[in-house]
Amino acid sequence: MRWLRDPSFWVSVLIVALAGAWPLVTGSASGREDMSLILMFVILASSLNIVLGYTGYVNFGHIVFFGLGGYIGFYLISQMGWHLIPAAIAGAIVTALFAAVLGAIILRLRGAYFALATIGVNEAVRALIVNWDALGGAVGMTMNFKRYQAYGGPMNALWVAYGLMIVVALLSVITSYGVRTSKFGLGLLAIREDEDAALVLGIAAPKAKTIAFVLSAIFPALAGALFFFKNGNIEPGDAFRLHMSVEGIVMIMLGGYGTVLGPIVGAATYERLRGYLLTSPIFKDLQLAFAGVLLLLIIIFVPSGLVGWLRNRFPKVRRVLA
Amino acid sequence: MKGVKWLLTVLFILALVVTGCAKAAPTPAPQPEQKPAEKPAAKTMTVVLGFTASQTGKYAKESKEQVQGIQLWLKDLEKAGGLKLPDGTVVKFETKSYDDESTKERVQQLYTKLITEDKAEFLISPYSSGLTAAAAVISEQYGKVMITTGAASDSIYKQGYQKVYQIYTPASRYLTGAVDALKAWDPNAKKIAVVYEKTKFATSVAKAAKAYAEKQGFEVVLFEGYEKDTTDFGPFINKIEAAKPDAIIGGGHFQDGSTFAKQLYEKKTPVKMVAILVAPAVPEFAELGDAAVGIIGPSQWESLAKYSPDSAKAAGVSWFGPTIDEFVSGYKAAYGYEPGYHAAGGYAAGLVLQKAIMDAGSIDADAVKAALDKMDMMIFFGHIKFDTGEYHGLQIGHDMVYIQWQKKDGKVVREIVWPEAAKTAEPVYPLR
Repeated sequence: MRWLRDPSFWVSVLIVALAGAWPLVTGSASGREDMSLILMFVILASSLNIVLGYTGYVNFGHIVFFGLGGYIGFYLISQMGWHLIPAAIAGAIVTALFAAVLGAIILRLRGAYFALATIGVNEAVRALIVNWDALGGAVGMTMNFKRYQAYGGPMNALWVAYGLMIVVALLSVITSYGVRTSKFGLGLLAIREDEDAALVLGIAAPKAKTIAFVLSAIFPALAGALFFFKNGNIEPGDAFRLHMSVEGIVMIMLGGYGTVLGPIVGAATYERLRGYLLTSPIFKDLQLAFAGVLLLLIIIFVPSGLVGWLRNRFPKVRRVLA
Repeated sequence: MKGVKWLLTVLFILALVVTGCAKAAPTPAPQPEQKPAEKPAAKTMTVVLGFTASQTGKYAKESKEQVQGIQLWLKDLEKAGGLKLPDGTVVKFETKSYDDESTKERVQQLYTKLITEDKAEFLISPYSSGLTAAAAVISEQYGKVMITTGAASDSIYKQGYQKVYQIYTPASRYLTGAVDALKAWDPNAKKIAVVYEKTKFATSVAKAAKAYAEKQGFEVVLFEGYEKDTTDFGPFINKIEAAKPDAIIGGGHFQDGSTFAKQLYEKKTPVKMVAILVAPAVPEFAELGDAAVGIIGPSQWESLAKYSPDSAKAAGVSWFGPTIDEFVSGYKAAYGYEPGYHAAGGYAAGLVLQKAIMDAGSIDADAVKAALDKMDMMIFFGHIKFDTGEYHGLQIGHDMVYIQWQKKDGKVVREIVWPEAAKTAEPVYPLR
């Protein structure tokens, strides 16, 4: 395996694995909650990066996959009594099919038109769920606390969900690396730089874009199922929050657009920063203002993101920072 | 070889960024230290009370009121010299709270922190049903008692929690009183139209009201939801007029509710009663002027309400805590304006916790739970009693009061018109 000899592969994977294992080692529940959110954002940002960073399509509706996977998974667990793992996988499969159909249609649009369409898709799916009584409609669904008994009690259930979150995060990072270093990924980069030129060179752009879109849908769907399982309830407003799509884009820009490591660093930095400001006695009342100013400064002065800046500034690190 | 060195350096730095930052927040203190165990010598103990507040995000306004209510209760308790247990120990509360940004992701993270790091013994819920549902999963798994306020949804109490207790009247009973009122005021009224906003809260209220109205022998001639942020109710009003109901009930939140009331007035829709959620209970509703007149709305609590030690005696339950006047004047003195029901709910949550700890005689979660299960009392907020059966923790004592905007001496004022026992004025009925 060429991957296994590539230091940049190990950098990305080990960072996620070590950070993820930290709460497991210390057994700190609070650390687990912090890290669980970070991993969730890593999943969202890494998967979004496949479409946004590699292919150059700005997707504002990325969260629709998270919500859809969450809804299907939650329905299967709470109403049909499925186990978390098959329910999450089923959610991911349906979401991937949805992405394939959707991608085949809206990926024909480019630039701003595509971005607008993705917002529309998110709102349309949300409206559909609000009017779908079997899925709880506007009220949403709840899960009986007893369901957690099947996972060794509620305490244990959260650790199980966390363990799975680490696995999904690793899978999404490995996939992101795999795409980035493959011929398929080069095709995507070519599409990002100039789609027409890529077509002329013989890249099957529509197919490649759709595959990228499907890949980017699977991981948020899994994360959604885990997140709402942990939450014990789901409602349309939380599942399809446009705000979270935007946050995902910010994380990618912060960390480094189009790199494997960028979304990981971006998600962790963004989330840690927010989490720290939120609970620090000095900043907790003006944490949003502070975070806003800081983000603005970073975007103005380091437009290629942290990882992008390192890669440009120190060409030698390119070998280890993909 | 050089690559390996680079790899190690970068790996080290980045691992620090990702995990190391977690240490920037206070690390979990090694177990014992400040745990306020009941030492025989100690006469005072400090108990940590944890909650999150929505300082930012969509619930900021309501949450602020709620937190001010909690803080006023703490101040009053401190003034009274703390909470005295039967064995002479004085319990003092220390609060820990963080901003949950009105989002669920934060709530679970912060409640876990409150319990495991700040060692909170008791919890109060965030504002809103959605956030409370997320917090309840955490509090329940650590076996902590959580008093919920600002959370009216019924569904939380169908999840099998054992230590979550609700202060508010649940959503399923928000508009049932309006149906009762209609029945009492006009035995000939038979038809009701239910028009509601398609959100979690309004939908559950509307569904419960429909079921209740049908049980009471009314015909629900229209049951229709509208999207949130609807600004043109014309099509709905046309449908309502075609269905010829005696009363319209429903609504959602402030913006849509007040627009709906205004357009009903402009179209002179011929109905005898309009009862809608949330909007009429907000003071700004008066700005609608004539369009506000006659509109009825449910409220968790009103400063005009008549709960008193006497009414407690009449109902055969004990009275606890300050009177309505004492609460209102205390709140005004502290914050400079009259409290609404969000603030009252915050204060009430503290009061219920205080009474339960006093009854239990200890801060042990199971003893406090037993005291809460037995609780049946009246406070300035109303009657408090919890379901101990299938829907454990659901509020079954407290009732809504219904206010109606009326015109007095050219001014639009709010009056309580239902229930009979609490009313301050005769209802304006029929409306048109």
